[in-house]
Amino acid sequence: MQLTERELWTVIHGLLLGTLFLLAFGGGLAGLWSLRVRLLTAEGMAERSPRLLIGTWVMAIVAWLTVFTGTWIVYPWYRAAPPEGTTDLTDFPRSLLLADEATAQWHEFGMEWKEHVAWLAPFLATAVAFAVAYYGAQLARRGEIRKALLVFFALAFLAAGIAGLFGAFITKAAPVA
Amino acid sequence: MQDMQTKPNGPVAAAFIAAGIGSLVLGLMVVLAEASADIKAALDFAKNYGLGSGVGPLSGKVLVATIAFLLGWVILHLVLRKKEVNFNVAFIVALVLVGAGFLLTFPPVFLAFEAKG
Repeated sequence: MQLTERELWTVIHGLLLGTLFLLAFGGGLAGLWSLRVRLLTAEGMAERSPRLLIGTWVMAIVAWLTVFTGTWIVYPWYRAAPPEGTTDLTDFPRSLLLADEATAQWHEFGMEWKEHVAWLAPFLATAVAFAVAYYGAQLARRGEIRKALLVFFALAFLAAGIAGLFGAFITKAAPVA
Repeated sequence: MQDMQTKPNGPVAAAFIAAGIGSLVLGLMVVLAEASADIKAALDFAKNYGLGSGVGPLSGKVLVATIAFLLGWVILHLVLRKKEVNFNVAFIVALVLVGAGFLLTFPPVFLAFEAKG
């Protein structure tokens, strides 16, 4: 039972950071959704504010770590060109996918979308985390900002979700190993 | 501690619009790289500036977008930090920019700009 260096980084990028992102999103979404004056006492707001702050910053930091590890560590292995004359493309996932018409769309649509759209997530998540740090519990009384944060939070999740979903499918079709 | 009623919303509006700017610039970089082989080559920061190995033009696209996000944020923050702005307008501007970013990073859209030949 062992993992190669490439498999280990794929696990860190997709599974560990991805799971952390999902957990932080769930916690942050619930926290933002329920941060309303009519739902909470002053004590309740004070109690959940630090958790919301941690959740949103974890999501933002994890989003940055995920795109940097994906772009600078895993992606070069994925797109590496095989030496001329190579017939076994197992170690060259991009070329492997493009070699077969039945799998080419995983690269031409899936990877092309994933590698770009993922980068929207850290921008959006960082803006949300900053706003939560800036207003803290006062967000409960700034309804228009709280709602905007929920929208940006959901868009960050959408961008990361698209990237994560295609990442899983592409890894299934042509793993970086 | 400043009261929440007087705490200006400018800094939050700045962060939102900066995220929109970063998104739009990313989308524009993706389209420009498709439209011009020269721009695509120039965006290969990994090769041109040693910022990574084998990342290709994606390195330049995302670094330019990240710089636009950070620079835009700093400038907007300095301009808006003490101001109470119409947050709904700021949010709509940010949403339009983010929407453009999503649209321009969608393959059928940016591939429509692909350089021929």
